[in-house]
Amino acid sequence: MGVRKREPGKLTLFLRRPKVEQAIARIVSVFKYAFFAFFMFLMYLPIVVIAIQSFNTTTGLIYQFNGFTFEHWKNVLTFDLDTNLANAITTTLVVAFLATAVSTVAGTIIAIGIHSLPKKKRQGMVFLNQVPILNADIITGISLMFVFKIVATILPGTFGMPSLIVAHIFFCLPYVVLSILPKLAELDENLYDAALDLYCKPAAGITKVIIPAILPGILTGMLIAFTMSIDDFLISFFNAGEINNLSIYIYGGYNRRLAPEVYAYNTILSTVIILGLVAMYVSSALKKRARLKHDLHHA
Amino acid sequence: MAKKLIELKNVTKSYDGAAVVNDINLYINENEFITLLGPSGCGKTTTLRMIGGFEKPDAGEIVLNGVVVNDVPPYERPINTVFQRYALFPHLNVYDNIAFGLRNQKVAKEEIAERVETALKLVSLPNFAKRKVTNLSGGQQQRVAIARAIVNKPKILLLDEPLAALDLKLRQSMQYELKEMQRKLGITFIYVTHDQEEALTMSDTIVVMKDGVIQQIGTPTGIYNEPNNRFVARFIGESNILDGIYVRQNLVRFMDVEFDCVDTQFADGEPVDVVIRPEDLDIIDPKGAKLIGVVSSSIFRGVHFELCVMVQGKEFVIHTYENRKVGENVGLRVDSYEIHLMKVEQGEH
Amino acid sequence: MNIKKLGRLALPYLVWMLVLVGIPLVMILVLSFMKTDGVSFTGATWSLEAWQEMFSVTDPTNLKILLDTFTFAIIATVICFAIGYPMAYIVARSPFSNKFVILVLTIIPMWSNSLLRNVALKNILSETNILDSLLSRVGMDFVIRFANQDQATFISIIVGLVLTYLPFMILPIYTVIEKIDESLLEASMDLGANPARTFLKVTFPLSMKGVTTGIIMVFLPCFSGFAIQKLLSRGTVYVLGSLIEANYIHDINFVSMLSIVILFLIFGSMMIVNKVDKEGATLV
Repeated sequence: MGVRKREPGKLTLFLRRPKVEQAIARIVSVFKYAFFAFFMFLMYLPIVVIAIQSFNTTTGLIYQFNGFTFEHWKNVLTFDLDTNLANAITTTLVVAFLATAVSTVAGTIIAIGIHSLPKKKRQGMVFLNQVPILNADIITGISLMFVFKIVATILPGTFGMPSLIVAHIFFCLPYVVLSILPKLAELDENLYDAALDLYCKPAAGITKVIIPAILPGILTGMLIAFTMSIDDFLISFFNAGEINNLSIYIYGGYNRRLAPEVYAYNTILSTVIILGLVAMYVSSALKKRARLKHDLHHA
Repeated sequence: MAKKLIELKNVTKSYDGAAVVNDINLYINENEFITLLGPSGCGKTTTLRMIGGFEKPDAGEIVLNGVVVNDVPPYERPINTVFQRYALFPHLNVYDNIAFGLRNQKVAKEEIAERVETALKLVSLPNFAKRKVTNLSGGQQQRVAIARAIVNKPKILLLDEPLAALDLKLRQSMQYELKEMQRKLGITFIYVTHDQEEALTMSDTIVVMKDGVIQQIGTPTGIYNEPNNRFVARFIGESNILDGIYVRQNLVRFMDVEFDCVDTQFADGEPVDVVIRPEDLDIIDPKGAKLIGVVSSSIFRGVHFELCVMVQGKEFVIHTYENRKVGENVGLRVDSYEIHLMKVEQGEH
Repeated sequence: MNIKKLGRLALPYLVWMLVLVGIPLVMILVLSFMKTDGVSFTGATWSLEAWQEMFSVTDPTNLKILLDTFTFAIIATVICFAIGYPMAYIVARSPFSNKFVILVLTIIPMWSNSLLRNVALKNILSETNILDSLLSRVGMDFVIRFANQDQATFISIIVGLVLTYLPFMILPIYTVIEKIDESLLEASMDLGANPARTFLKVTFPLSMKGVTTGIIMVFLPCFSGFAIQKLLSRGTVYVLGSLIEANYIHDINFVSMLSIVILFLIFGSMMIVNKVDKEGATLV
């Protein structure tokens, strides 16, 4: 006794007619674009406002556009700022660069270590690695604060810049490790042994062979670490002591008018990053095209 | 007289308490193509890795040219390895991959260029120097891996199932090329595979392993014609294995029939395992044949037909050029020198 | 030999984690059940005061704050899912060359300081706002009106949370949907399922891994944060995080107790993520 298919109903037959199918496809497509546009509008509206504010003269109310000026941009680029803001920006950038550098190097070594562990231990370390990522920032902030406060009783002066930098390294490391582990997993399992087989000493084996092979993962991790550090608020809030980073500075001014240079700084930073990414993408696309041409002519 | 290049003395290696390589003793000569052959998990790759220095024996000694090398790291041994999935460095092109070992040994630039070119010629990839390794086919990557190893002029080349990932025709041509290469270079090749046909084709000596223990060492023809036990008999080539009794000198009884045989090292009345290769059985007229049966299946294998013949309820596999129909009555004949007898081992069946 | 040795490189990390995660965890647990003067243990006594303050029946202000926190977080997460899942699906199924561009477009807002974005949002949602001011010069209006101040604050906070954390919902779901093998969908249709049914029976269940991660990555920060809520309500609305901010200097025990409440949620979600995604594939 075979399986009897039900006769398709009238509605289904109607929907299958080519013209109807086309119309439906078109509607769905329009909906997709509309939805995407709606999403873009939502996400970019605040950014547009930030950009606008960076050009707003300061003579009137903050919520009014009083006039167009490049003054604020000029002030940021010449670093002619209110001391508090200048310090906040400097702190943010210094911490970000330091934390990114340290966590990238350390994260690479740690990732190689974790990758080389037997399965059970590796899964345990990966789980541990997730903890700072999954943990709420506020808990991480409070936890680190406890530890650093205790350390500060033994080593005075460490609660402030030092604790802030260590805190940033702490939450950047897991992202670096997480970016590199999949790339390590993709490698031929014998790559390191091959290097040793060919007369490389162990350390050289890592630097000459493993690291170049996982470079994309390292770079991605570096980018993510930098992004996380630049924007952090909660963890910095509890571990910066007397000093401010930019997020703390902005938060502190929640009930009064923010210096317009803040908007200018933010717009400049975003623009630089976007241009940088575009440049990287374009250059790699050009390289690909050049190689295709080369291979075509030399095949 | 061939010189002993490598000796493994009572070498044992365990993982998680279980011995993967169990007290093996083996010596390997200069200029020899020797293959470690066995099923997955028999310890052949671990043995290879210990010779290369990537694993350390838990017990026993590995002696290279008279020197115990247990603690010597891979980069200090005159040995190079061709890995199973080639392990080519993805960020380097073909030239840099091959030159890698030479650069680490601080060889002069001009000499490097010369040796890389020679190596590329040897593996038939003369113009590939600037290519990216990720764009090469499996066979081409294979050759680059070989070139990368031999360019360093090692005394010993280790090959860990290097042809496993290639398709059949390519594998067969590479087997021939590897054998030629070993002859030309005059160095020792230690080859690991689970493919018995590959081992028979290329080796001067075969070491059959099972569960970390060496089952038999011998030449390809020696092992093929005179397997030591059921495992080797089953693993190498195909065979028909039967229970038999060694009646007396040069006479063996199996399938309720007595046959002349040439093996003499058994006691009267001793039970033996009887091994007959499928190609050694001839199909004859059932009238007057010592063994009579019915054809139960016939498969065309390209070169020959593989027939299964049921004789008194036991299935015989026969390779023959003449086909027989399923259901036909046939007789089987075997010459006395083609009956091979083995000692029955405890707990074996 | 050597690969095994490399595993030792991870050991310092283990120690680092134990010190910076393990020790505070114990401290938080212990401190929540004590009454101490700051982080020192001199003159400390065991006490349930912190817990009583939180869960007191006579003065339910803190309980109401807890409830509000849940409300905001849940609503924001649901909206993030409603917008984020379709977005992730659309991007994942778009032709290849577009994918990268669209992905980058989605991520770019994350490079503007999130607090500043919310300050800008407050601007937008106010009666007098900069967009209205600009557009009025060309004769247009841009004002979002609310029924009353409470509603205004409530909606502002929800919008702020959604805009800030939407990318965190989109990315994991995108990652998972993108990885779904085309041949699975073809197999489904081969076996008689139309596109809608294929989505329901194949794509959606396979995407659950990413959905779970996404929900957790949105809900946790919404639940535990305080900055966005404070910015968008000018400090009038209190959530659990605000209680921590208010008390972290002088009442460490209360703060520890609050941390444990949050940790309960986190622990639960980490267990779920770990079960669902063992190699951390959806998190980056």
